[in-house]
Amino acid sequence: MRYGCPPAKKLKSFRKKGYRDQAESAGRRERLRVSRFVTPLETVRPFLKTGQTDALQHPVNCLWLQGVLDVRLEFEGYTMPTDISSIILQLFSGLSRAMMLFLLSSGLSLIFGVMNILNFAHATLWLFAGYLTYTLFQFFTGTFGDYSLLLVPAIVIATLTMFLVGWLIERILIRRMYDRDVPEQLLLTFALILIFGDLIKLIWGVQNRRIFLPIEPMELLDSYINPYFFVIILSGFGVAIGLWWFLHRTRYGKIVRAAVHNRDMVSALGIRIPTIFALVFSLGVGIAAFSAGVFLPIMPIGLGVDTDLIVQCFAVVVIGGFGSILGTFVASLIVGIVYAFSILIWPNGALAIIFLILIAVLIWRPWGLFGTEMRS
Amino acid sequence: MTKLIDGYKWDNFLEKVNRREFIATSLAAGAMLMTPRFVKAGSAEPYRIGVALPTTGAGANYSERPIKGLPSIAAEINKRGGLLGKHPIELYFRDTQTKPDVGAREARSLILNEKVQAIIGTWSSSVAMAIQEVIHEHKVIHLTATSNSSKIVNENYTPYTYLFGPNSRMQSGATVVAVLKLIKTNGWKNYVTIGQDYEWGRDAQGVFVHELMAKSPATKLKKELWCKLGETDFTSYITAIMTLKPDFLFGAIAGKDNETFLQQAKASGLFKRIAYPGVFLPVTELMQQRKTLPRDIIGINRCPFFAHMDNPMMQQYVKTYQEKFGKDDYPDDFACMYFDALNGLEQGAALARSIHSDAIKDALKGATIDTCRGKLTFRKCNNQLNCASYVGKVVDTPDYPFPIFERKTMIAVKGDEVWVPTSEEVKKLQKKRV
Repeated sequence: MRYGCPPAKKLKSFRKKGYRDQAESAGRRERLRVSRFVTPLETVRPFLKTGQTDALQHPVNCLWLQGVLDVRLEFEGYTMPTDISSIILQLFSGLSRAMMLFLLSSGLSLIFGVMNILNFAHATLWLFAGYLTYTLFQFFTGTFGDYSLLLVPAIVIATLTMFLVGWLIERILIRRMYDRDVPEQLLLTFALILIFGDLIKLIWGVQNRRIFLPIEPMELLDSYINPYFFVIILSGFGVAIGLWWFLHRTRYGKIVRAAVHNRDMVSALGIRIPTIFALVFSLGVGIAAFSAGVFLPIMPIGLGVDTDLIVQCFAVVVIGGFGSILGTFVASLIVGIVYAFSILIWPNGALAIIFLILIAVLIWRPWGLFGTEMRS
Repeated sequence: MTKLIDGYKWDNFLEKVNRREFIATSLAAGAMLMTPRFVKAGSAEPYRIGVALPTTGAGANYSERPIKGLPSIAAEINKRGGLLGKHPIELYFRDTQTKPDVGAREARSLILNEKVQAIIGTWSSSVAMAIQEVIHEHKVIHLTATSNSSKIVNENYTPYTYLFGPNSRMQSGATVVAVLKLIKTNGWKNYVTIGQDYEWGRDAQGVFVHELMAKSPATKLKKELWCKLGETDFTSYITAIMTLKPDFLFGAIAGKDNETFLQQAKASGLFKRIAYPGVFLPVTELMQQRKTLPRDIIGINRCPFFAHMDNPMMQQYVKTYQEKFGKDDYPDDFACMYFDALNGLEQGAALARSIHSDAIKDALKGATIDTCRGKLTFRKCNNQLNCASYVGKVVDTPDYPFPIFERKTMIAVKGDEVWVPTSEEVKKLQKKRV
């Protein structure tokens, strides 16, 4: 099949055969909207009969070649806008989702990478932190007045508290699991899901909680976006840079990286591995707590949200490679952006596409895009 | 000879009492011992009702007020002596977790362990349909209001289920009535739909698209978007809708997800660009989102108390509810519909003069009952209450501490205007049950 622009006669033929031009003037560009695109077989059949094989060209390609950028293709119900503003808008939402996933998954990846512990309760601890932030914010606004910026101290205090909770969990429970098999680790962390879930039910009840901030939409590229996206995206990049700096530029970070590769050697150098493990676990929980606070103004938290999120987090961590922060970051970008565009093109299959990528990675590189074979 | 048995001189006793006196005394004592049993059976045999509603999951917010309100409704009925004036109501609560398997399991447990004679609930039509299988098997009355897929009374019909709210078909039909007016006024040509990807969402969206196509064929559906139940991040959906630039958006989203979608859509400027008529806004949402809900949008609800404050039954219920839960709390659509369900059951028992499930089921078929929405009649062929769906503009009012539908312009679309037109068509849809 040859792709290219058909002559004007052929375009007329296209229109007669089913592509109805609804040309509308939009500045200098011609905006063409193909309102009905008959099935591919229907399209090609008349041309095959008459031997006009050069007409078997995809109309979108023709229009691109003609320099028309704003084309919409409606193909059996699936619409794919290709104008720049639409792409940027969708890219933006994908980026925001990606950063949300990264904030949540990075702690999970870090904990597994260093400690070989699959913390199934990671998202539940995230949820618990969300409720804690919510309560602190309510307390602050009740005491000092209705100021949005009071969210910042609420997040900081909740993060520090969860850091301590993480430390306690590691010292009391997780440390006893290092030499156990993965199923036993999963059972323990699954028990934590149930315990923290019931604790949430006891303290906060079953209602969804959310912080209401007076967020007004912002005009961008002839459309609107939620300005809070910038906060999430900046937070995601901030945590990524912060983690990179910690792991590559600090003494403790270097010890953590060394522990990933060879615990015994690090221990032989007189470094207390249990302390490092407790620090890493607490750091992972702390990052999750921070992300919970950041998400609260745009995303409600409630029982059940954690189990839904943990599945997506595992997908991100597996694609990126367990233990690799860079891998988690790149995988979050892939998952977030692919998901956003899948919603636009093929909404029914958005999640399926993510898991197809996951399967492909598991077959091609079982240790993930940025993981090392050793970890697998 | 004097025999001492347990230190008592029985010979002396027998010497003093003759045979006639002994028989008379024994009969009197026996009668006295048996009396409480007969009295209990005559006035206090309870009528057990299972309440299967989710307290967790996407529909938990719609269950909160029914769960709070049902005991006080039962207490009111019990003040009158209970069903038939002598069977006090006992309620047994179970959490369905918005999961069909859990719902069916809890319904079975309620019937077999708690010996309930009726089940109330639940939210999520898929759960309700799972419960229907259990109640049909055990011949137990099923009173539902929150879950409202039309399949509950059509495709999955069982004579034991009674639906006290408008079903999805009626609700979507009412939305079509409102949307058709707006299409004429605004010249809308195309639209996008977004729905929850489960039984009710699919049903409500399907009916809307079908009805609109029949009544306004020129209005084209650009795209269908489906989100999973319990979705917390609608960002990609919202930007996709904005990218598609439809004239209006139809949504089949309920429960907590509805609140999430509305909040995220508002912050993303969706309502500045695209009209969103027919959004499901029960009183629950109007109260929960009092600060953030966009004003002037067209919403739909099923049983708003403020539309029937001229009805003494509704006035009394709101009064009782507020006495118990405070002046700022009002019964939502679901609390009102379950009020009607429990009172409807009482009226059904009175009509049947029995508390037996089969007798109540037969008595309620085609019956007219008093509800907080006035006198309403069950459709004979499928036990659907001929109640209205309410479409109106969200406005603030000095009467309530939350926005309500503008009463002047609100339309109540009656059930028989929009449900499956004939009984024959309904019967064709209904599956044959053993």
